[in-house]
Amino acid sequence: MSKKILIIEDDKILSELLARKLKDAGFEVAVAFDGVEGLDSLRTNKPDLILLDIMMPQKNGMEVMEEMNKDPETSLAKIPVVIISNSGQPVEIEKVLELGAKDYLIKAEFNPQEVIEKVIKQIGN
Amino acid sequence: MEIKNPTPEQNKIAVLLEDLTALESYARDLLSFLPLPVCLVSTIGIVLETNPALEKISGYKTEEIIGNPLEKLINKIETKRLIKETLEKGSLSSQEIILLTKDKAKVYTSVSTLLRKNEQGEIIGFFVGLFELTAIKENEEELRKSQSALLNMLEDVEEEKRKAEEEKNRTSAVITHLTDGLLVFDSQNNLSLINPPAEKLLRITNDEAYNKSLDELASLLDHFKPLLKVLGKEIKEVSRQEIVIEDLTLEISSALISAHSGSLIIVHDITREKAIERMKTEFVSIAAHQLRTPLSAIKWALSLLLEGDVGELSAEQKSFISKSYESNERMIILINDLLDVARIEEGRYVYKLVPAKLENLAQAALSACKEIAAKRNIKLEYLKPTQALPEIMIDAEKIAITIQNLIENAIKYTPPNGQVTVSLKYDIDKVELSVKDTGVGVSPEQQNRLFTKFFRASNVMRMETDGTGLGLFIAKNIIEAHGGKIWCQSKENEGSTFSFSLPINH
Repeated sequence: MSKKILIIEDDKILSELLARKLKDAGFEVAVAFDGVEGLDSLRTNKPDLILLDIMMPQKNGMEVMEEMNKDPETSLAKIPVVIISNSGQPVEIEKVLELGAKDYLIKAEFNPQEVIEKVIKQIGN
Repeated sequence: MEIKNPTPEQNKIAVLLEDLTALESYARDLLSFLPLPVCLVSTIGIVLETNPALEKISGYKTEEIIGNPLEKLINKIETKRLIKETLEKGSLSSQEIILLTKDKAKVYTSVSTLLRKNEQGEIIGFFVGLFELTAIKENEEELRKSQSALLNMLEDVEEEKRKAEEEKNRTSAVITHLTDGLLVFDSQNNLSLINPPAEKLLRITNDEAYNKSLDELASLLDHFKPLLKVLGKEIKEVSRQEIVIEDLTLEISSALISAHSGSLIIVHDITREKAIERMKTEFVSIAAHQLRTPLSAIKWALSLLLEGDVGELSAEQKSFISKSYESNERMIILINDLLDVARIEEGRYVYKLVPAKLENLAQAALSACKEIAAKRNIKLEYLKPTQALPEIMIDAEKIAITIQNLIENAIKYTPPNGQVTVSLKYDIDKVELSVKDTGVGVSPEQQNRLFTKFFRASNVMRMETDGTGLGLFIAKNIIEAHGGKIWCQSKENEGSTFSFSLPINH
């Protein structure tokens, strides 16, 4: 059975491009466009890995992670999270790693292919 | 002659004669002794008798005076008047007359005359007594001069006072109407002047502040504390120190008026400038952030196309997409640079210090630049330091950015077949990295602007259109945030050497 990836990203084009690339690489993909939707989706879909944006409406990426950590079933120790962010600010990187994120990618500096590689590094394919 | 057996009359005559001789000698002695110049003048103005005092004052000898007209000593008109009035009145007293000496000098004298008659009551002439006034005249003249000098001085003082008053009014108008706040502290460091803008900016009135020290003011009002902190109790000289008082940002400068006579403090309100600066930085930061998402989308979409995820591309299609991809990459770099600058200006360019070796960072940067150097046919050389460099506490990521930036610049602005050399040096208390090229160089007049924001040298603008003019500005900020220095030595058309040094903190 193929691994399931949840993309929580408010930019539709970016998430579509990522989804396409992941599907091509053989992953099953679910998408959510904000933090609230993302939390719902991760409870029902039980993904193997989450690609999480930080700056989002409703609930931002930080809040999503804090929320996840409250429930042992969804804690970041259980579900690996890779951050895909726009900022790359050291304070932000520090904070997300502290919350348990596995990796941090700056969107403008990565290609979808490299994102796939990071995902595979975390959970295999 | 002696007369034998003189008659009583003869005796009497003899006695009288004796008396007469004695009298004559008495008169002559008296005349000689008299310190006042005196002479006897006949009614027609001929001098009949003189005395040593007159000879002395006039400079004439006895024989030069006696038998000569009085005009020789006193001018004609005066002589005539003197004779006339004496004959009429019998005497004159204290007439001011000028005596002419043999040397043609003028002697101021006061003249008195007295008519002289013989036993028969006939007028035979008159006495002229002179009293020298020169000394008195000189004193008078002196006195007059002193008086007028004194009056002039008084006038000058009056004028000076008026000028000073005018100057004072002008200065006080200037001080009052300055837009900047101004405070003057006296030699005892007590406030002696505060102008209305300073009262407004520092929220205090003249009456509250007058004659108080900065220390006292700070203990009275909390918002004087930042001012005290910047200036100290003794009010040291500072230039453009920023302080924040509630919602105001103020720039403080101070200067000693002159040794031991107090200090002057200028308070310049930069609240508005600060707000505008902040807005500009925020705008750049937000705009750059907003731009990054669509730029990322373009990057990802193009890379999907390039990787053949949506079907094979023809060679031509691939070439166009590649070019689009590269342009987009340049845009991302520019946006990243702008963001870095905005962060530096906001003071949010965080420095995370870790122990690192400059040598490792230099080698990593060199291998990252290998490809573009080869593409441009430039020889990239690395000179190992003669003495191994110690580990230093630095923000390794930022220093790596700086090194790479310097090497990339060197490659970019060196014509093909040129050479770029990276070298390291270990000094007692610092490490130094230099990037030397054989490139276009920088003109001396542009060298000092190299490290300013958005600056691009004119010769470089002509040869290469891309480049943000931010790289060296960022590099300078990174190096200086580490307490280091960055500089450039260059000769146009011969090459440049960019170097930076970082302190070793044990």
